[in-house]
Amino acid sequence: MIASLSSEWLKLRTTRTIFWLLVALGAVITLSVVAGVITNDKERISSPHDQLDLLGIGLLALLIALIMGLIVSTGEFRHGTITPTLLATPSRASVVISKAIAGMLFAVALVGLAEGLVAIELAIVLPAKGVAFAIQSGPAAAFVGRILIAAALWGAIGSGLGIVIRNQIGAVVTCFVWLFFAEGLINAILRSHAIGSHAGRFFPLQATGAILDTGARNPADMLGRVSGIAVLVGWMLLATFAALVLLKRRDVS
Amino acid sequence: MIAVENLRKRYGKTQAVDGLSFTVEPGRVVGFLGPNGAGKTTTLRILLGLVRATSGQATILGKSYAQLERPFCQVGAVLEASGFHPGRKARNHLRVLARAGHAPKTRVDEVLKIVGLEGAAKKRVGGYSLGMRQRLALASALLGDPGVLILDEPANGLDPEGIRWLRDTLRSLAAEGRAVLISSHVLAEVEQTVDEVVIINKGKFVAHGSVEELTRGAEKRVRVCSPQAETLKKHLITAGLKIDEDGDALLVTGGTSSQIGEIAAKSQVILHELIPLATQLENVFFALTTEEQG
Repeated sequence: MIASLSSEWLKLRTTRTIFWLLVALGAVITLSVVAGVITNDKERISSPHDQLDLLGIGLLALLIALIMGLIVSTGEFRHGTITPTLLATPSRASVVISKAIAGMLFAVALVGLAEGLVAIELAIVLPAKGVAFAIQSGPAAAFVGRILIAAALWGAIGSGLGIVIRNQIGAVVTCFVWLFFAEGLINAILRSHAIGSHAGRFFPLQATGAILDTGARNPADMLGRVSGIAVLVGWMLLATFAALVLLKRRDVS
Repeated sequence: MIAVENLRKRYGKTQAVDGLSFTVEPGRVVGFLGPNGAGKTTTLRILLGLVRATSGQATILGKSYAQLERPFCQVGAVLEASGFHPGRKARNHLRVLARAGHAPKTRVDEVLKIVGLEGAAKKRVGGYSLGMRQRLALASALLGDPGVLILDEPANGLDPEGIRWLRDTLRSLAAEGRAVLISSHVLAEVEQTVDEVVIINKGKFVAHGSVEELTRGAEKRVRVCSPQAETLKKHLITAGLKIDEDGDALLVTGGTSSQIGEIAAKSQVILHELIPLATQLENVFFALTTEEQG
């Protein structure tokens, strides 16, 4: 298992995909930080709480972590590398679990880097606008810690879904449609007066909102933090289990 | 070393492999031959645990591939020249496999040298030619210094020098006591490389033996070209020989080149070519697989 994990980690580091994703992420973060500071009045970005919200710009890395997990897993089928992968590691369970753990580690590293970049940029841009950098280490650490937990789980979800769906474009489009359209729509329908259900709280994006305190403002529509973590862990286990079952059942030809 | 016993694989209504059995012993290079769709690749993939058999057994060193203690170091395989990420450098591709397969790091540079890719090791695989990919695939198979090699069409894309190199490499690997199972459709090439052949057709076993055993007694063919082909054909048929046409040439079965030359001389027919066909395995292969189809 350790050999397989080490190999998966090396795979992540040895293509240009990661380089371009980091460049894109860095550019988007920098633009967002600069825009967030320039377009807001000083009063709206002076308090530690406001600046902590700006730190949330690093959440963009969550999406990149998910996409990277998808790309790495679907890439095995797209390029046919699943054959040498399974020849080197015939245990399909080991391959799936290694990919999930590598996805988690990569996501944590990526989000950690993103949050570090946001913090450094805020420390430069805020004083340039005449606003003191007021983020306190305690609340910032707690906030970043929660982001890292969510990132780890999304990284593993991406790795699992990439094995389940296999087609790279199909997998990325499916995730985007779910995240930016389907989940919100279904949740809204469930919450409508006609149905009146709060089941949408258990959807992955809503659970992530619960972990990060960025979800619905109505407490009935949002889980608690711990419950949010438990639900997202459940989604991660579901994606990993589905990947395991399908990879075990499929012939690699 | 390699044992396939009553192996069957069904894909829906298609019986890809149908009760196949054969063995490969250490130190032997065995050609695995059959027409397209005969079930060669499916059989090799079952041997390597990539495809599940419907029934029967395919074992290496007495165990299924997945049950081997260190399969990557015991069995090397080349299945296709497309199992590479185009954006990854060749050396990194091998490092990834070496890590997963418990092969020593030092083997990466060793196998790059063996396959003659040390100069292109830091090049991304996307820029490789098909021949270079085949060499890299063989390097992957050799990473664990395995005792068994399973190669599916390894000569595809290799230039004549590469084919000679592959032949020499396989011979020297077998001389070290390794078992080599090699599937190929380039029969002339296989004939020069292998000790034995296993021939299958439509998923079924057809023949197994040394090239010598299989070609012994096989009817020899002679290629004849003449500007008076029709006249010659009549005389050859009258002499009891069997004629097939191959473009402008006649393929004559049942007679030697000297017999055909004498018939042509007696009939005062000019000959431009009189070539005994050396690739006897090809004749045997077509005879056996055509019989099966019939």
